[in-house]
Amino acid sequence: MSAYDVIVIGGGVIGTSCAYHLVKKGYKVALIEKGDIASGTSSHCDAAAMITDKMPGADAALGYASIQKFIRLSKELDYDFNFDQSGSLYVCETDQEVEVATGYVNALRAEGYRVKMVDPYEMSQIEPLLAKDLKGGFWSDECAGLNPFKLCYAFVEQVKGKGLDVFLHTKVTGVRLNEKHQVEGVDTDKGSFTTGRVINCGGVYAPEIGRLNGLNIPILPRKGVILLSEATGPVCHQKVQEFGYMVTKFANVECDRDPELLKYNVAFTLEPTEGDNVMLGSSRNFVGYNLNTEIEVINAIAKRGMRFFPILKNMSCVRAYAGVRPFVEDHLPIMSEVEEMPGYYICAGHEGDGISMSPVSGQLMTQLIAGEETELDMEPFRFSRIENRFLD
Amino acid sequence: MSAAIEAASAGVKVLVIDANEKAGGQLFKQIHKFFGSSMHRAGVRGIDIGRELLEKCEELGVEIWLDSLAIGIYDNLRVAVDRKTGFNEHKMILVEPKKIVIATGASENAVRFPGWTLPGVMGAGAAQTMINFHRVLPGKKVLTIGSGNVGLIVSYQLMQAGAEIEGIVEALPKINGYAVHASKLTREGIPIYTGYTVLEAHGKERVSEAVIAKVNPDWSTIPGTEKTIEVDTIAIAAGLKPLTGLAHMAGCQLTFDRFLGGWAPIHNEHMETTVPGIYIAGDSTGVEEANTAIEEGKLAGTAIAASLGYLDEKEADALQEAAWERLKGLREGAHGAERTQAKEHQLHAYAEYMERRGEVG
Repeated sequence: MSAYDVIVIGGGVIGTSCAYHLVKKGYKVALIEKGDIASGTSSHCDAAAMITDKMPGADAALGYASIQKFIRLSKELDYDFNFDQSGSLYVCETDQEVEVATGYVNALRAEGYRVKMVDPYEMSQIEPLLAKDLKGGFWSDECAGLNPFKLCYAFVEQVKGKGLDVFLHTKVTGVRLNEKHQVEGVDTDKGSFTTGRVINCGGVYAPEIGRLNGLNIPILPRKGVILLSEATGPVCHQKVQEFGYMVTKFANVECDRDPELLKYNVAFTLEPTEGDNVMLGSSRNFVGYNLNTEIEVINAIAKRGMRFFPILKNMSCVRAYAGVRPFVEDHLPIMSEVEEMPGYYICAGHEGDGISMSPVSGQLMTQLIAGEETELDMEPFRFSRIENRFLD
Repeated sequence: MSAAIEAASAGVKVLVIDANEKAGGQLFKQIHKFFGSSMHRAGVRGIDIGRELLEKCEELGVEIWLDSLAIGIYDNLRVAVDRKTGFNEHKMILVEPKKIVIATGASENAVRFPGWTLPGVMGAGAAQTMINFHRVLPGKKVLTIGSGNVGLIVSYQLMQAGAEIEGIVEALPKINGYAVHASKLTREGIPIYTGYTVLEAHGKERVSEAVIAKVNPDWSTIPGTEKTIEVDTIAIAAGLKPLTGLAHMAGCQLTFDRFLGGWAPIHNEHMETTVPGIYIAGDSTGVEEANTAIEEGKLAGTAIAASLGYLDEKEADALQEAAWERLKGLREGAHGAERTQAKEHQLHAYAEYMERRGEVG
């Protein structure tokens, strides 16, 4: 059966980025995907590469590194993924939020990122259709938008047949280990492959793949619902979010929230598309892998959207869709080799940041595999930080 | 409406939700007399059947929300409705019925060729709605694609409404609809181009000409046979497909059958889908015709009345049996054998699916 230097499991944005970066490094790579490219989380999300949704420290460093890589990738990849460095705006509803935001922005600025507080007047200049009664916000021109679906294809198309073989509709049934617990191959429902290294990029399905080898990868599917508007004239010019979003994301920033919003973790986000639709989000709740949308959540999102952009009241929603994000308790992805199983790597658990962190994740995994010095400290992302990481 | 009438006459409280400004679906644009396999209503105009059904609904106190869109079916049979509440005013309302009937009908198939998005290129059904319902002539010089009954009837009605029919294009080697409809057109000197297809449409603001050409049996076009026809409207009558969005969203299982227009929800003999409490009737479970839709609606209506305790079992069984008898008769016409087989296949697939689910559960 075919032999590869590295086998990547999962054709989402993380898997395709890993595959791309590995091939660029000279490795012979197989990408194995049980469905199609970008058929899961990577096509059921919105997308922006941001700093201003990251916690200062390792998280923000990863966000920044990703944006720099996107700038390069947008020139390097032949397939256009609609990268647009238009900035992003966070808005605050209360003085309390402004106060917390000021502290947050100062921390980011101290680390050298281009982000600044804006007052209501400046906000109305940046986004004229915003509600007029907001207290303030912060803005960064470093943030960018892109098309996540196209990004996955851009990664694959660039290297397919030039070091990358893609096996779609192929389900991994096992990762073979030798007596020293080293990886020696991958079995699928379509046949077996020989390899010394495998990366589990299964996202929300990474635990399922891990289970085959007794690994307990603590990733939970966290559902998010997004509404898509009809195509109109421009409504917003960049990603706009309420600062309350930070509360749902990290849950360690103190702000008062409406109980209805807390129930489904609803927070306002608005993103323009290149077709002049807007994507309105979002929610976060744990309801398994079910992709059904709930009408209560749709209602709450719509109501929240109209609060910040009153013009949405006059627009039609043409579609509501849900995706599940790979959630990890400490909000950091797992990007690491499994020490007890040499050659078994995991790159998963980016929750809502998978798209934005995909370039740097692919790069880091390639550096890990090549035994090179990684451009970021990998300590926070180690699998060994997980306490019960093996099944009984 | 047939389901609503059957259920309401047994005493069930019924609400009908319709996206259009008038209930009755396609019947109100069918100003022609029914023909052929529509044996028990042959000679009656669709518009009159529609009027009859509407009157009956009013008589039975069926509540009808018009200009109101059922945007989704959520868990526990809840239906979200964007209800019209006034001039230019809509409100989202969550309706929580005990049973749901999906009777969303079918939508027109598109034929894609360069220029197909130009203004003036439209579905034949859309052209028919414009002339017979809105009283607007879509254009003066029309080319029709497809010589099935819809293509033929709509062409004739467009001609009656004052348009010139420049021709009817049919890729098959012979006319696809009833000869009686076709001869009405050929008597007027309208050319029917059998064995032809449309290659492209040209135009700036709207379509101004169509290029057609002869096709080989393998559907490739024969170079040198191109003909350019000056038109301002192209009416596409390329068949219909069931509108399955709501059923699909609700989790109803679908099967594919080309004689029913494509993917359609499977159901049991009471028209109940694989989601308990959700029934389906008419073109949305397989494209047929108005009379079969009416009978399927009756099946769903009586089944619901019985399951809610408004009809005793014996009575319901008799009504259901009679409806099935009439359906059998209706499925003796054009493509009757194929349609009968396809509908049997749906019942079969339902039984298989439920059995499999029973084993798993």
